[in-house]
Order: sequence, then C-alpha cells, then structure tokens
Amino acid sequence: MTENHNTDNKTDQKQLDQDSSSTAGPLPCQAMSLQETEGHDRDEQSPARRSFLSAVIAGLMMAVAGIVTSLGGKLTLANVNNGPNNNRRKQYGMVIDVRRCIGCHACSVACKSEFDVPIGETRSWVEYVEKGVYPNVSRSFLPRLCNHCSEPPCVYVCPTNATYKRQQDGIVVVDQGLCIGCKYCLQACPYDARFLNPITGWADKCDFCTHRVAKGLEPSCVSTCVGAARIFGDLGDLDSEISKLIAKNRVTVLRREMGTFPNVFYIAADHTDELDARRPEVQTVRVLTNRRQQKRK
Amino acid sequence: MEHELTWGLPVILYLFLAGLGAGAVTVSAAILLRTGEYHGGSYFKLARYGALIGPIPVILGTCFIILELGRWDRAFNLYKVINLSPMSIGSWLLALFIICSLLYALVFLPSFLPRFERLSRRIFPIMHTLSWVNVPLGIGVAVYTGILLGAMPSRPLWNSPILAMLFLVSALSTGIAVIILAQTLSHLVHGKDPTVKTERRSSEHYQEAPLSSLGHRNYEISYLLTGSDMLLIIIELIVIFLFVMFAHLTVGNLKYAMAIILPGGEMAGMFWVWVVLVGLLIPGLMEMFYIIPKVVYGREFRIHEGSEVMISVAVLVGGFMLRYIVVVAGQVTGPLGL
Repeated sequence: MTENHNTDNKTDQKQLDQDSSSTAGPLPCQAMSLQETEGHDRDEQSPARRSFLSAVIAGLMMAVAGIVTSLGGKLTLANVNNGPNNNRRKQYGMVIDVRRCIGCHACSVACKSEFDVPIGETRSWVEYVEKGVYPNVSRSFLPRLCNHCSEPPCVYVCPTNATYKRQQDGIVVVDQGLCIGCKYCLQACPYDARFLNPITGWADKCDFCTHRVAKGLEPSCVSTCVGAARIFGDLGDLDSEISKLIAKNRVTVLRREMGTFPNVFYIAADHTDELDARRPEVQTVRVLTNRRQQKRK
Repeated sequence: MEHELTWGLPVILYLFLAGLGAGAVTVSAAILLRTGEYHGGSYFKLARYGALIGPIPVILGTCFIILELGRWDRAFNLYKVINLSPMSIGSWLLALFIICSLLYALVFLPSFLPRFERLSRRIFPIMHTLSWVNVPLGIGVAVYTGILLGAMPSRPLWNSPILAMLFLVSALSTGIAVIILAQTLSHLVHGKDPTVKTERRSSEHYQEAPLSSLGHRNYEISYLLTGSDMLLIIIELIVIFLFVMFAHLTVGNLKYAMAIILPGGEMAGMFWVWVVLVGLLIPGLMEMFYIIPKVVYGREFRIHEGSEVMISVAVLVGGFMLRYIVVVAGQVTGPLGL
C-alpha cells in the first residue's frame, strides 16, 4: 500500500476514508491526512464536500511529501552529523603506496584498454613531481584517479541526478543514460578526475571498475600494477588488507581541506605543487601530469 | 593561456544574455507595478520596451547554453527531476521565466495599434498579475547565474557569496541600459518629436502622446532610467570592491585566486579597464554629469541622445566583460596545493 501511495492518490484516499481510524500507516503524511479527515468530521459540512476537501488536502500533502522525499536523498547524504565515513557501511577505497610505484604507467594503460577511453582523456594517470636544486633533488610519482569522496561535490551539483554515490558500496558513478553533459561536475571536482567523453558527450570518470568488482575481481589498474602499489578493498571491513594498511601507516589524502573526505589514500605521497616553488627551500618544482591537461587544476 | 576552459564562450554569453533579459523584464515589470493602473502613459511605454526586448536575449542565451551541453538532445532530462543543484533549480526558474516573460510580452502587443485600445485596457489586469510574477522570477534568474558559479569550493574565485549579488546588480544595470538604448534608438529613428519643447516636469499638465507614436520623448522617463542606472552602478562598484577586498584580505585559496585580477595578475588590465573603467566609471560619471544639475540645482533634466547611446553601450560592454572575466578567471585559478 505504501508503494502505491505516491502513484495513485485517489484510490489511496478512498481506502483511507473507508478504514477510518485503525490503519495509521508508516508514512507520516498518511497519518496527517487521517488527522485531517477526522478534523473535518467535527465540522458540519456536507459529506461530498468534506471528502472532496480532504482529498484535495491529502493530495497536496502527498505532493509535498513526494518533493520532500525526492530531496531527502540529497539531504541525508549532506548530513554531516551522520559521519561522512560511516564504518558500518561498505565503502570501497584504495591505498596507493607511493614507495612501491615505479611510474611505469601500466595502470593508465590498463585503464585505457579496459574502458576504451578516448585519445586525449584519462580516467587514471600518473603524475611526476620533480623538485629541488641539483644535487639535492627528488622525483616522485603520484598515481591519480577519482577519489570516490564521501562528500562528493560532483554529486551535489548534478542537475539530473545522473551522478550519484552508490549506497551499496560507496562508488561514485555516472548514469550514462541521464547525463546531459553540462560539465558542472567537471567544474566541481577539485581533483580534475572527470572529463567530457568526446565520443559519447557525457561526463566520464573512474568508477573503480564496477563491472569487475561485481564479479569479485579487483579494478584493472590494481591487478596490473607491477609493484603492487595499489591496494583495493572495503574500508568498512576492519579485516581487509586496505583497512589494516591505513591503520598501520601514515596516510594522506589529496586536498583534505576541501572537506570532500576522499576514499583514496596515499602512503608516502609527495604533495608538492608547482606553487611550492615559491618556498625558499624548494625553489624548483616541475609537475609532469602525463595527460592532456598540462596543469593541475 | 595554456589553460583549458571547461565552460567557454557559450556559457559566458548565456550568463550575460540571461542577466540582461531578466534585468530588462524585472525593470519593466517593476515600472508597470509602480504606475499601478492603465493610463497609456510614458511609463507604460517604458515597461513595454523592457517587456518586448527582455525575452529575446534570454531565449537566445538559453539556445547557446543548450548547444554547449555534451548531449543537447537530452536537455529535457533537466525537467525530469528537481534537486538541490543550483543548475536544477535554475533551469526550472528559467523555463518558468521564459514562459511568463513571453506571455508578458504578448499582452503588450495590442497597445501598438490604436484600434485595440479597448482590448489593451481590458487585459491590463493580466499584465499587472504577470508583472507581479515576473519581478521575483527575473530576480531569481539573475541571481541563480551567480549561485551556479558560487556553489563549488573547487573554484575559489567563484566561491563567494557576493558573486550572485554582483551578477544581480549587473543584470539590472544592463537591463536598464538595453531599455535606454532601445528607447533612444527608436527616438532617433522616428525623428524628433515637436512636443518635446512644450513638455512640463510634472506629467499631470502634460498631454501624453498616444502609445502608437514611437518617436516621442519624455525626459522624466529618461531621468528615472538614468538615475536608477547610476544608483545601480554605484552599488555595483561597492559590490566589486567588497568582492575583491574580502578575497584579498583572506589567506589561502581565495587570495591566490583573486590575485589574477589584482594589479600584476594575468587578467588585471582587462578587468580594471573593461569592467571598472569602461563598464562602470565612465557611464557612471556621465550619468552623474546629467543627473547632478537636476538633483542639486533643481534644473530640468536634459540628456543628449549620443550620451545615452554611449552610456548604455558602455554598460552593456562592461556587463559582458564582467561575465567573461569572472568565468575565465574562475576556471584558470584553482585551489592551492594538492
């Protein structure tokens, strides 16, 4: 009955009028419409007018309830009190152990071939960070992908609900049947992880290989990584390898101050940016993004 | 610049044109509400200019932005849901506004023909109701363009609560400018009206020219438009000052982003010359030059058509450059660090 509730107002209202008092339904609006009917019973109005009025009021309430529940999905996601990284929920994530990364781009290539990513676009890429003045120099690698944030800005700006965070595993995906390619999410992502697919015209990004994960496999970039630098797993499961790694190591996330609560963690990552060249002890920084976008966002 | 723009010229044009049209319709509806009843006077004609011009840029801008979509064939998906995304709320507002402003423009059409005067008088209540609807809708459309940009922490330059206010003031200012421009051009095209010299300051003693005569000129109307445009320009200057100053006074992302339009930045020259000097200071000072004799010395308000055209064109150029610079500067600057 509750399933039909929003779809068929009139029959539902009739049912409500018939079973006058006992069925206080699980939805609050149902209970409210019952109260309204009772309230009108006390007034001395003709029955036809009364039922019509209560039907109108109930219809209005259901419309309001419908809007509230449709907005509700977003509101609960935005609810920070709930704890953005609720451990009881399944949340896939990744640890990237930069000490093990050799900058070979195997992950980028595996990702490209897995999804047939168009030329010039990248779902996953490896940045090189070079800094210092000879002879005190260093080069480190920074594998990048979508962070599948717990507070994803891209989800909050999507006007068609095409991009959403999956309830079952916390993967942020794009519903390619709904996306209109407005590029709002490309603007909202602080990690530049999204691109407009030039062939299909919709927004595209890393989805943790949902098709592989569904079959119990690891994402393509993880299984191809020669140094085993990428570790994938469920952050909600305390016995998973990834949770143990996070517990035992100092991990960092990218742009923590953005408040996005990323689910991709780095061990020993060099967060140096080109702007750090202003600092006297660094002086020279070169970031090679190894993708079409020559600059970090 | 080596940066790649996710939102390019179509979006910039949309932000400008939607603001312009929404501003013109809002001003027109506000003028109509101010006059209160149908008397076919100059105020009515003024409202008519705004009502007829307004929807055109909004629809044109909407076409641009639909073509900018990766999948323009799916634009209707926007109307399958409503959520808290500024773009979702904005597209619903925009659709409502286009419908209401088109209806609003439509009810003004009979007033062009003298033989439809009775009809035009009879549909005035509809016009009045529509103007009640169009004022909030127009303001909504103008404001949402700023909220749309401001909703993202990943774009620090845009992520400012005063950006929407800036866009609203600029939209109203450009809306008035386009009404001034239309009125002046119409006057220039249809030739000078001989009744100008006999005009009095108070319109009660003055026999209004019929609505169908386009070229007629009433300086009281020009005074209202020029004066309100001057006030809006002053407000816009204050808003820009606050926008720049508060960003500059913070430390971090916002300060770094704002540096691009402050002296020494990549887009500083463009911003200060085109937006502040050409778009605000020059037209503002010109308007002040014509307004002050009336306000301070109580002289009759007179303004040269050439100046009116210059003022309105400068305001329009400034409005476009404001959108251009804000959209481009916001995209080439990002948050600090990684």
